[in-house]
Amino acid sequence: MELPELAARWMNALTATAYIPLSHAEIEQVLLDSLVELPESPESVANRLVSLHATGPDSLRATIEVLSPTFELPLLARLSSAYAQAMRMDAFDQQEQIKVAIVRAKQRVERTLKVSQARFREVFESAALGIVITDLGGRCVEANDTLAEIVGLESGADLNDRDLTDFYHPDDLAALGAQYRKVREGHLPRFRDQRKLIRADGEPVWVYLAVSLLRDADGEPTHHVTMVEDISELHLLQRSLDHQLLHDSLTGLSNRQHFVTQVERRAANDPITLYHLGLDAFSVVNNGLGHETGDKLLKIVAARLGKLAGEKKAVLARIGGDEFAMMTVSDNVTTTIEEIQEVLGEPTFVDDHGIALSASIGVVDRPPVFATTAELMRCANAALRQAKARGKRQWALHDPHDDARRRGRYALAASMPGAWEHGELEIVYAPVHDLETREVLGAVARLHWDDLSHNDTMALADSTGLSLPIGRWLLREACAQAARWVQEFGDRAPTLHIALGALQSRDEDLVADVKRALDETGLPPERLRISLDISSVLAGDDNAVVLHDSGIVTALDGFHGGHDELAVLTEVQVRSVITRAPAPSPDSPLYQAMRDLIATVHSFGVRFGVDEVHTLEDAEYWRSAGADAVIGLLPALSADEVTELLTAASQPPEAS
Amino acid sequence: MSERMSWVPEGVDTGKPSAARLYDYLLGGGHNFAADRMLAEKFLQAQPNARTIARLNRAFLRRAVLFMMDNGIRQFLDLGSGIPTVGNVHEIAQKADPEAHVVYVDFEEVAVAHSELILEQDPRATIIQEDMTKPDAVLKAAGESGLLDFTQPVGLLTVGVFHFVPPQADPQSIVAAYRDAVPAGSYLAFSQFTQDLQPEEMAGVVEVMKKSQNPMFPRTKTEIEGLFHGFELVEPGIVPSPLWHPEGTNTDDPDKAGIYAAVGRKA
Repeated sequence: MELPELAARWMNALTATAYIPLSHAEIEQVLLDSLVELPESPESVANRLVSLHATGPDSLRATIEVLSPTFELPLLARLSSAYAQAMRMDAFDQQEQIKVAIVRAKQRVERTLKVSQARFREVFESAALGIVITDLGGRCVEANDTLAEIVGLESGADLNDRDLTDFYHPDDLAALGAQYRKVREGHLPRFRDQRKLIRADGEPVWVYLAVSLLRDADGEPTHHVTMVEDISELHLLQRSLDHQLLHDSLTGLSNRQHFVTQVERRAANDPITLYHLGLDAFSVVNNGLGHETGDKLLKIVAARLGKLAGEKKAVLARIGGDEFAMMTVSDNVTTTIEEIQEVLGEPTFVDDHGIALSASIGVVDRPPVFATTAELMRCANAALRQAKARGKRQWALHDPHDDARRRGRYALAASMPGAWEHGELEIVYAPVHDLETREVLGAVARLHWDDLSHNDTMALADSTGLSLPIGRWLLREACAQAARWVQEFGDRAPTLHIALGALQSRDEDLVADVKRALDETGLPPERLRISLDISSVLAGDDNAVVLHDSGIVTALDGFHGGHDELAVLTEVQVRSVITRAPAPSPDSPLYQAMRDLIATVHSFGVRFGVDEVHTLEDAEYWRSAGADAVIGLLPALSADEVTELLTAASQPPEAS
Repeated sequence: MSERMSWVPEGVDTGKPSAARLYDYLLGGGHNFAADRMLAEKFLQAQPNARTIARLNRAFLRRAVLFMMDNGIRQFLDLGSGIPTVGNVHEIAQKADPEAHVVYVDFEEVAVAHSELILEQDPRATIIQEDMTKPDAVLKAAGESGLLDFTQPVGLLTVGVFHFVPPQADPQSIVAAYRDAVPAGSYLAFSQFTQDLQPEEMAGVVEVMKKSQNPMFPRTKTEIEGLFHGFELVEPGIVPSPLWHPEGTNTDDPDKAGIYAAVGRKA
């Protein structure tokens, strides 16, 4: 057989026995070369076959079958023997190679493992947290020294083989057991909890626990890891802080905040009665006998009320300097009030002073469930104010209707100082009209705030004690503005009218205030009219007289036409009186009376002005009755608006 | 620590057979251990034709790589490359063009260590240790290797691998992720066991492998078609491995090839 044909047959036989990663042509060429070389060196042919990877289980048999008719047996024997040797060497090479690979892989895994174990060791040993690994039965496999310290043992090794549950509080066993089981069964990835452990010496220690699960390579749970943080000190500190936050340091009673939360809790479930106690005349004790005595007395009161509260299962708190609050589940209010007064009234000897106390008490009984605790506290306080207003040793039941009224006014009064500070109070100027000439005689400076009239604003200011500073401010500001108008518009500037509130009218510094305002602003005195509240003159105050003597024109506001008022007009020299009354219709029987009154006033040389006249019709009635001037026909304007009007009026009139 | 803690995971375990070393043994390689050869014997009992199947599958890999080279592909991502054995991709590709780049991907420590040994001297080929069923991680590492340019067509190779990917791993989305990472003109070479050929023997093989670390999941032709979503199948489509672009006249029995093979081109 020709060698190329033999090579082709050999190739077909070999490729069926092994995968040779070459094209058929390439394989055939290699085999042809081998056939040429075979008689000389069967050993190198064997080596080539193995390096070609013609190494299938049947590769040698297929080779012998193809070659045996053409080549002698001794040659084929040498080939077989060399092939077997080459296979051995190849197998050794491969085994060597795979061994190196295995060693490398192992080294790498072990290195990674070592690094991670070293990291773990470091974390485990240096952690500020106690760490313990337990088997699924709860037995400690390994614990760190930090944990040992927490539970009062020498070292982590002391925990080995002990049950971690030995250190749990017996009350926690069931709950913790359930939690551990949930983690083990995969319902929870981990759990955290705050618990008490029992140290080796029996002392409790508060800890945070964080528990998770360890699994083996197949994912089966094998161990729990429990991290333990000692929070005892933190816990004690927290508790002490809590106590300080919730209790009054002098008496040890709950404070307002604590009381409120207790009321909140109780009111949600039961009908309650709230007592707000204010000790009567406690400031007398404090000021007269000293704060130390006052403090001692407060402690005694707290102890007595505490005893009473204990008997009545009531909640007691000190919620202010001399104020206490008590909450009972609804009871007989009068009986409780009597009991309170009884324990307080028992004479007490403090530093050799015998003192008997009483309290004023505001009561909120069975409030509606939807009332908030803040509302309840406010209602009780309002009732206490009412009780105090009636005198000592009084009590008052909260009346929701009365409360709403007061509250509106209180709220407004309470917001006034802030409003003034923020410049929300405005000065506006209302024109005064002469009824005869219909000319503007001047402008009344008035307060304007939040839809309230000047008089309401002043009355509110009186109730807050702000009326004096606000009045002074009004006086000064209005004078400054009037002075600017005089400077700019000369004679056409309006005369400034200022109506003072009742308190300011009687203020002993009034005259000095007025003079200072005039001096500082440069407003000529004849440009100012001060109207005083007539009550001040009636009360005998001499501000009107002194002002007049100082050359300042005055008026009396709030004139009603009474006998005493008419009498004052004969004694005090004023330019005018100002009244507020319904306009006297000529059909009205009062018309003649009003005409006569105005005539009488005129007879004293005093002009008659009317405030709050808003329609021309009313103005006409007043004119026919004899009045001289009215305020209110036109709305009050801001200072800027007045300036604009004056500027417009001073332009030459357009040709018409 | 002198003693390994009982809950620390195990490292390399040569006592457990691996599919990669089983394949090496069936191909006549020596990179295997007793445990691998014992599993191979059971495999051969269930499928006496296993050596031929392995040989035909390896031959398909060679033809597919050369086909891609003919179509201009010069970079390959071999997913689940296993133990380096006869006729590795970089050897085939670089014989045709020494500039060809190959990135092998396998997860098994020994296969990776072995591949590193083989590739130490080759700057154009490397192995990354990743799980080929996690395309994001594989693509990230492949990108970082610096050997693949994802703006140029890539030859994706999953040869004799997907029968280890269970249905619940969503093989379709795995293939899709690789497909989306490569530009149009890229190729996918794919082969895996099927129950369409010799169903009885296949069932036996599945049974043998069930308890191993590498259980097998044969797929029908239709199922394999689904994996080629987004690729155009190169003629003759999905066929028994010896029938795909045979070299010369095929003498092997396609019905006993056990494995379907196909190549697709990303449009």
